[in-house]
Amino acid sequence: MIHKTKKLLLKPWFQLVLTVLFVTTSEVFLKRGAVEAPRLPEQVNWTGVSGLASPNVWYGILFVIASFISWLYVLRFIPLTIAYPLSNFVHVLIPLSSWLFLNEHISVQRWCGIALVLLGVLIVAKPVARMEEKL
Amino acid sequence: MTPVSALLIFIALILYILGQLFLKHAMESDLRSARFKKNFAVGLSAMTVSFFITLGLLQHFDLSYLYPFQGLSVVIISLLAAAILREKLTPRLFIGAALISAGVVLVSLS
Repeated sequence: MIHKTKKLLLKPWFQLVLTVLFVTTSEVFLKRGAVEAPRLPEQVNWTGVSGLASPNVWYGILFVIASFISWLYVLRFIPLTIAYPLSNFVHVLIPLSSWLFLNEHISVQRWCGIALVLLGVLIVAKPVARMEEKL
Repeated sequence: MTPVSALLIFIALILYILGQLFLKHAMESDLRSARFKKNFAVGLSAMTVSFFITLGLLQHFDLSYLYPFQGLSVVIISLLAAAILREKLTPRLFIGAALISAGVVLVSLS
């Protein structure tokens, strides 16, 4: 069991899935935290450091760090021309999570954009999946 | 969107792209070499600055509106990875990357 888990964790493709999930989770926490944060005077407002006052921002940062570590592992084994487009599955998951958890509105045009991203990800993923089967 | 926020979105995007390229380059080298340390440090710094600018922008814009600007990075990163890091960019991969970028731009314009 432990051996199997370890074997799965060492797979670059599994780490890519984890990256995508961690990034999505972090963005939801960061948005929640950023809204809660106190507004600073205009001159320093743009850095977003006041966000550090919110625990949600810190949860977000933890998930950013987790996603970063799994992404570094992915980079060691998968070319950027494949890994980076696939990681953009977050552009499907993040709007869906914004809709589900943050009550943000998604227009028809936006749904179309999300569908295009999904199509692009599938086009990149398909030959890669076939390559994996052969291994 | 004011000129200042447009500029900040642009700067965050450029730093993010540079960060990805430097990190990829670093991870492909010997993890104990001096070259790894240098490339990793540059990549990490660029991404950190980009992160805090994005966090600041999130205080003013909806997440589903703001985040997709980074989608433009797909085509740019694919092209630069092929040009600079000598990775293989097949027509199929490029079409996939272009569709993703187009989709993300459509999302951010709506």
